[in-house]
Amino acid sequence: MKKKKIIRIGLIAVVAGIIIAGAVGFYMFNMPHRDVQSSKADFILNSSDIVAEYLGNKDAANQKYLAADGDSKILEVSGIVNKISEDFDGQKVVLLKSDGDKAGVIAAFTPETNANAEKLQVGELVTVKGVIRAGAAYDSDLELYENVILEKSDVVTK
Amino acid sequence: MKKLVLVVIAAVLFAGFSANGQSKLVSSKSHIKFFSSTPAEDIEANNTTSVSTINPSTGEIVFSVPMQGFEFEKALMQKHFNGEDFLNTKEFPKAKLTGKILNIDKVNFSADGTYDAHVEGELTIKGVTKPVHEMGKITVKGGKVDANSKFNITLADYGINFVKGKPASNIAKTVEVTLQAEYAAE
Repeated sequence: MKKKKIIRIGLIAVVAGIIIAGAVGFYMFNMPHRDVQSSKADFILNSSDIVAEYLGNKDAANQKYLAADGDSKILEVSGIVNKISEDFDGQKVVLLKSDGDKAGVIAAFTPETNANAEKLQVGELVTVKGVIRAGAAYDSDLELYENVILEKSDVVTK
Repeated sequence: MKKLVLVVIAAVLFAGFSANGQSKLVSSKSHIKFFSSTPAEDIEANNTTSVSTINPSTGEIVFSVPMQGFEFEKALMQKHFNGEDFLNTKEFPKAKLTGKILNIDKVNFSADGTYDAHVEGELTIKGVTKPVHEMGKITVKGGKVDANSKFNITLADYGINFVKGKPASNIAKTVEVTLQAEYAAE
């Protein structure tokens, strides 16, 4: 009698374990992407400052802003709209760059936020929030300064 | 003597003009797709953040690819891709292709058409540089220049190895890379 009870409890525990493991596995597999726009910004700065920080010490800046799992820092960057274009995914791309700066911050919008980018005017001072994908640097092969890159961006209205 | 001076001036002017006509082409509109297929699943990632240049006089071609710009459908795959065991994008944020279009003299950037491009160079991923030899196409249409290529990368060549776990069985040993870029004069 006692032995049967132990076996029964054991079985229940094993079944419960399998169900929990399965549920966790299923959740992990289908884990949603981080929602950048509803997350709090990690840093608030202007385009000239982050460009200067990257051109000053690229490695230190990468350590500060990039995350090992790709969920890198969320930045709120203010700057002057220099150019508005579109990428191959139909996403609006806004370049924030001050006159005289060697590089700027390029922010790619999303299908959900494209409309907000379309309203922007070249020369306007705006604040954009997005996740950083890469920093600014001079590339001697390209012979160009590369911009800081933000994705999943939207305009911040205060 | 006067004649010689004139000839020299003409030659210098001509050289200046032709160099102007061949200014560097820059692309900040690009698409790189990464496709892996195994019986377990197909995995795709897309990146629109790369910068590329082509020097029409020398045929030099460069692609700088921000690795964290690869977007996957599933968040967990994107985390694995960026992680230390796979591409370690925090330590190696950019991949780079530097090469030369060997038959650049066959590409006429001022005439509409599609030209085969024979590219030889080096590809650096995760800090490992390997020689590459690939075919691509350059399309010139109405002053716009497009470059396209599709080639395979063997992950182990760049020190990307999976020994155990799900990534080992679900990611192909060789992945297909599709590349497209639209250029404008600098």
